[in-house]
Amino acid sequence: MKKKNRNFMEMEDCVVLFADEYLNDVEGEKLEELCDAFLMKGVKKLIIDFSDTGLINSVGISILVGIMDKLKGGKGVLLFSGLKKVNHDIFNMLGLTKNVPVCKTPQEALKMIEGGSPRKLTVQ
Amino acid sequence: MVNEEFKLERLIFNLNALAELGEEITSQKDFQRVVKSSLFLVMGTFPCSKGAILRYDYGKRAAYPIVSKGISCDADAGIALPAEAVSEMVRHNSPIDLKSEGGFFSSETEVLEKFGARIIAPLVVKDELMGLISLNEKFSGEEFTPYDLKLLSAMAKHIAVSLHSNSLLRKLVHKYSENKGLYDGLRSIYYNTIHAFAAAIDAKDAYTNGHSHRVSAYCTAVAKEMGLRDDDIESIRIGGLLHDIGKLAVDKIIINKATTLTLTEHIEINTHPVVGYEILSKIKFPWRAVAVMARSHHERPDGCGYPDGLKITDIPLEARIMSLADAFDAMTTDRPYRPRLSFEEAVYEIKNNLDLQFCSDVVRPFFSLIRKEVKKEVEHPCVTPLLKEHLDPGDVTRLVSNFLAS
Repeated sequence: MKKKNRNFMEMEDCVVLFADEYLNDVEGEKLEELCDAFLMKGVKKLIIDFSDTGLINSVGISILVGIMDKLKGGKGVLLFSGLKKVNHDIFNMLGLTKNVPVCKTPQEALKMIEGGSPRKLTVQ
Repeated sequence: MVNEEFKLERLIFNLNALAELGEEITSQKDFQRVVKSSLFLVMGTFPCSKGAILRYDYGKRAAYPIVSKGISCDADAGIALPAEAVSEMVRHNSPIDLKSEGGFFSSETEVLEKFGARIIAPLVVKDELMGLISLNEKFSGEEFTPYDLKLLSAMAKHIAVSLHSNSLLRKLVHKYSENKGLYDGLRSIYYNTIHAFAAAIDAKDAYTNGHSHRVSAYCTAVAKEMGLRDDDIESIRIGGLLHDIGKLAVDKIIINKATTLTLTEHIEINTHPVVGYEILSKIKFPWRAVAVMARSHHERPDGCGYPDGLKITDIPLEARIMSLADAFDAMTTDRPYRPRLSFEEAVYEIKNNLDLQFCSDVVRPFFSLIRKEVKKEVEHPCVTPLLKEHLDPGDVTRLVSNFLAS
């Protein structure tokens, strides 16, 4: 069952969070709050889609790291989708994609989760 | 990415972060938001998942968090720093890796664990410790490089300036509040003293209890109706309270005499404007007109007033207003030598002496105001509540409208 909201979409037992330009401001904390809310509900599979996000700055990175920190240690699965090359390069440079698979679309990410192949998020 | 490209990308990312931090610090946003954005910028640069910016309290000799992320610490969880450690940190003025240089905080390991602190960067401006930045390990697990610490040091200098500006602003606000409190206190004493004087003036005359306050109220109402500036209205209000201060030097027997005054008694009582002027002109009121009102409130536009026999063009506006208000109250209150006139009789008296005793430029707004008050067109009436008779709106409108139309 798919339920779509402006900022998220629930797909089966997985949630896709849509990050847009607000990520680059402290108001982007609401993405973290959304993640918290779903984790409290028992959701363990999250996909963050960046199709509508331009260049991500340090503020955006800190918010994403906050989300990744909540899921580390086997607490859940996290995937990224729709990352523009420039952001993918930044994530690589900062070592963030070491533990988080990156897919082209949320559907591809969902298939990866259903296929059971993504590594659980762990800090190495 | 090849190594050189990687380094360049990293450099550009760091420069971008510094530029955004500079923009944030100099923005007009609320201080709390600026500090929060700054923390997020710093944390996202390395990146770290736990961080805080703390303000150093010299009184309590400890640093307390202003903002934090990824840490659940209460507001009381401060990092203690005795004076010697502060001096050393100011002198050192660069980030401290607690793995290798934890000496400053050896007694604070428990608190530092709550913060998850690995790096502490002092925030120093002009040899004063403003606060600290605390960061945990890098999320990637990599070690902080010397280059990272230099970058953090540069960021810390920006954030320190922001804390310093805020500190100055807080001191300024505190001083302003203090001064305002003192000013309000002084102002209260000032006004209470003036009211006490007015009461003393009125107490001398058994029949004029409240006269100074009523005259003040009438004058103020007319001044407002005429659209005078707030300063001038205030001047007139104070002038009204003190206009008869010269009567303090007049024998009480003369003031309360019910029969006709002798020439000598007349001369004595007529000195009160000059005496009042001499008393009031020695006081540095914020307004020039207070003493002038006391001196000239018995002048007449026809030049037959006293003490100076001024003609209409020479009588200050404040004194013209005062003269009308003073006479109106004298007419509408009981005196030792005659009972009060009715409102209608007072209006006729004023009309009959227009441009002789009373100036039309102040009479018109006075009557206009009274008409508005009886028609309940004024939210806070000032004149009619002080009169000792109930005024019929129809009668008043008839009385004053003819006059205002002519």
